[in-house]
Amino acid sequence: MPTRRFFLQQTGLGLASLLAGPWALESCRSTTARVPIAGQLRGANQAVGHLLRGGMTFPAPTRNRTVDVLIIGGGIAGLSARRWLHRQGLSDTLLVELDEQTGGNSSHGQNTVSAYPWGAHYLPIPDPRNTELIDFLRDTGTITGHTDQGQPIYNEYHLCHDPQERLLIDGHWQEGLVPERGVPASDRAQLARFFALIDTLKQAKGQDGRDAFAIPLDQSSADLTFRALDTVTFADYLDQHGYTSPYLRWYLTYACRDDYGATPETVSAWAGLHYFAARKGQGRTQTGGLVASSDVLTWPQGNGFLLDHLRQSVDSPPEQPNLLTHHLAYAIQPQQDEVRVLCYDVTAQQTIAIRAKAVLLATPQFVTKSLLRSLAPDRAAFADRVHNAPWLVANLTVNSLPQGGGMPLCWDNVGYNTASVGYITANHQDVSDQPKRVITLYWPLTDAPPHEARRRAYQSTYADWVQQVLAELETLHPGVTPSVERVDVQLWGHGMVAPTPGFVWGEARQQAMRPIGKQLFFAHSDLSGVSLFEEAFYQGIRAAREIVQALHPSTNPV
Amino acid sequence: MVSEEQPRSTRGNASRPDLLPVLLLVSVFVIATCGLIYELIAGTLASYLLGDSVTQFSTIIGTYLFAMGIGSWLSKYLDGALLKWFIRIEILVGLVGGWSAPLLFVLFEYVQSFRVVLYALVGLTGVLVGLEIPLLMRILEGRYAFKDLVSRVFTFDYIGALLASLIFPLVLVPQLGLVRTSLFFGLLNLAVAAVVLYRFQETRPYRRSFTLTMIVASGLMLVGFVGADRIMTYTESLAFQDKVIYSKTTQYQRIVLTRNAREWRLFLNGNLQFSSADEYRYHEALIHPAMQQNPSARRVLVLGGGDGLAVRELLKYPQLDAIRLVDLDPGMTQLFQQNEMLLALNQRSLLSPKVQVLNADAFLFVRQDTSRYDLIVVDFPDPANYSIGKLYSTAFYSELDKLLSANGVVVVQSTSPYVARRSFWCIAHTLGAVGFRTLPYHAYVPSFGEWGYVLAARNRPLSPVHRAVRLPAGLRYINVRTLADLTHFPTDMAELPTDINRLNNQALVRYFDDDWGPYSH
Repeated sequence: MPTRRFFLQQTGLGLASLLAGPWALESCRSTTARVPIAGQLRGANQAVGHLLRGGMTFPAPTRNRTVDVLIIGGGIAGLSARRWLHRQGLSDTLLVELDEQTGGNSSHGQNTVSAYPWGAHYLPIPDPRNTELIDFLRDTGTITGHTDQGQPIYNEYHLCHDPQERLLIDGHWQEGLVPERGVPASDRAQLARFFALIDTLKQAKGQDGRDAFAIPLDQSSADLTFRALDTVTFADYLDQHGYTSPYLRWYLTYACRDDYGATPETVSAWAGLHYFAARKGQGRTQTGGLVASSDVLTWPQGNGFLLDHLRQSVDSPPEQPNLLTHHLAYAIQPQQDEVRVLCYDVTAQQTIAIRAKAVLLATPQFVTKSLLRSLAPDRAAFADRVHNAPWLVANLTVNSLPQGGGMPLCWDNVGYNTASVGYITANHQDVSDQPKRVITLYWPLTDAPPHEARRRAYQSTYADWVQQVLAELETLHPGVTPSVERVDVQLWGHGMVAPTPGFVWGEARQQAMRPIGKQLFFAHSDLSGVSLFEEAFYQGIRAAREIVQALHPSTNPV
Repeated sequence: MVSEEQPRSTRGNASRPDLLPVLLLVSVFVIATCGLIYELIAGTLASYLLGDSVTQFSTIIGTYLFAMGIGSWLSKYLDGALLKWFIRIEILVGLVGGWSAPLLFVLFEYVQSFRVVLYALVGLTGVLVGLEIPLLMRILEGRYAFKDLVSRVFTFDYIGALLASLIFPLVLVPQLGLVRTSLFFGLLNLAVAAVVLYRFQETRPYRRSFTLTMIVASGLMLVGFVGADRIMTYTESLAFQDKVIYSKTTQYQRIVLTRNAREWRLFLNGNLQFSSADEYRYHEALIHPAMQQNPSARRVLVLGGGDGLAVRELLKYPQLDAIRLVDLDPGMTQLFQQNEMLLALNQRSLLSPKVQVLNADAFLFVRQDTSRYDLIVVDFPDPANYSIGKLYSTAFYSELDKLLSANGVVVVQSTSPYVARRSFWCIAHTLGAVGFRTLPYHAYVPSFGEWGYVLAARNRPLSPVHRAVRLPAGLRYINVRTLADLTHFPTDMAELPTDINRLNNQALVRYFDDDWGPYSH
């Protein structure tokens, strides 16, 4: 009956257009009234960094400098090593960083509304046994003392304020990220079984007396029962153990993307479980409240808060700064008793020749690779195994967020089955209330293999990103676009290391941590296989200890 | 759907005889939905504006159905070009039904006997809607066997009614609001008229004359739809029982002042802050027990309380040298420093040379301030959301502790211990958790009900009456006898265990939500 169908279609169309009229009119109005969105694409350090890959002829050195220890890389690992060396009395150090600011994945920014993170934005309550980290948190004022029972006392302003997390599922915001709304009983049972497993693994210890899962992960048990988990992918493990619920799998995929920039199909089961089972923090608040392992520490600038404290823990005399940004180390030349490093001052366009007794490469593996290409080809080969997904981080200034039903705005706001891993509210920790917010959207580009995703990402323009970011935000907050005042976008070409099977407990990683001679040392969270503040902090201290030992063999290791 | 074997039109003037019935049956469905929606809107609006929803719904439905009966009866007087009548009726239903909600909202404020207007409008809509179905049945008469006709028309009619009754509470009111819902269904009626008008040859002779009407009618609906927010703002006073004498939207809140013969009322974001008839009870109970504790008090900090009424009570103590009031909203403090009527109420307290008014965020202020105070009065809105909840946390109270002089006392307005029993005790326990001794008490304020306060001090006992301190003359509620009574809690408000409110658990906001949830509508 073509006529009738045609007629019904026509009628439907007619009705639809009549119905849509008012909305179309409204949306037109808001479009015309909209002020163009301001913002920029932060190119990161990619332009400077790519100088390393060749094509650039650097000028001959015109300045010289001699130091005991040269640290290449001003992320958490490098700054942590620097702090440790100075505490051990090794104060003749120099740190060079190719970016305009130190920070690495803990970089941060600031606008008139709030400070905001460009990368890592929280620290889970650490295990009280991680004494080095606990000590550092005392320096930052995050831990204000200890109870009579020895539990750390946390500064309430640094603990993530309630409400912490919400998930948009089924068109409704629920509290917490584990899907609950509309989840069938069989799926709930799987979720419960998984979390019961995690509780068991949190308590589990190996025959060597160590925790099955620990942070720093090098302190985890060496038992084969646990390490065998490093040989399979997390996805295979979940399939084998009947963890097939789409809700559980979404949640675990979210977790892996959030922490590793990779999916359960890419990371090892050991790493997938470590994410949950290694969190053993506890403490008290100043007024006696319980601080649990699910609590996190956060600041408007994210881990930039910790970063700034790390950097400021060492004075840099203005007449002879011991921290140089926008300086690219491009050649390492080991000699008899020292190492000569050529370093390009991007601002002055000059090369400095730095002579150091020891050099610490606190660089991600893709940079280490370029620096060691001719010196240690085996190390360069290891770098090729590192799975680095690109990330997009967008900071948006919004003057309001249209709120759907359910839980109001939280610190962490995630959509079920969305492309990004959601956004955090940067000014969540403010004690005052203001309608304007800065929100930080995190987006691991995991829809293609890293090199492919990276190539595509480098080709995208600011306008492309803004369009994608707004489309993503619209799925969480329909109608939000007119409220967006500013969008700044940062592309991390090599966002973070992913712990692929065999990476964490393979021999290659151990090899990559070892010094070359008594001159070249290595520290970075890439060498842990997971990109956590705690790991970078630990790697820095581990390498600093090795340096102290190498330069002053008589001193007792600390 | 209609089968191919259906009887063909015997009138023979329809250009596409097989389409007309289908279309008209679809119309039955649409107009049935619209018809019920108008009824629901009228019922909801009447309950909303007049209260007593059982009576309102019952009388509105009765009137509406009766009017539909009249419409059906009148339908026999309509003769001639039935399609033309149908189009006319649809346009009228669209206009009258569609504009019913905005009209009622606007008129509520202006007409003396709102009920007359309400039932007239409901009656008119009912008559028009009552005409629709009989007319349609007559148009379709002869195209179906009678039993099929009745069966089909009423099937669509009732399905439409079901749809309307489901989407109205679940989708329309939450998403569109009453005004836009009303206008939206008016547009649907117009759409039915438009489809009939432009899809059928026999309407050709009068198409042109109707086109203008259609454009004007649709335009009216669209204007209403786009301007719905403005209509609502304009009629905002409806939400308040009395005449609105002042309203202003500041950066932080909407301030509305209403008055009737007996009293003024101040609303912030729709929440009652005080009634001039009994605010003295609230403010005397807030200030005088605290002043009893500290005969040597000289310096006072008031947080919130931009109406200056707490300060008015404080100024009754000549020994006080300096009162600093910190309120977030300059719109609020300016109003109470400038409006003559309000100045009479707060006795020009905010203009006193002893008083310093600062507009700042209280939490930021207490973190930065380094002064010492003998008394801190905390008069914030109730902890209804997570932003305000922070102002009732251990972190906030720890900051207050740092600002207290050796003998200093804090008093906190602490919501209703009767309605929000756990919230009240949670505030008391939170003050206790930062090391204060506390003295919880309550007073009866007719426009609020039972209201709670907590006195807190470090290192000193608190008692309701202090012999060394004389109460100022002229108090209307507080005297030595009532002071002693305030601290007695009957069983239904007695202490019960609660969590402590901290920044990282916001226990209080969660209690408050549960406690007040059954009371909000």
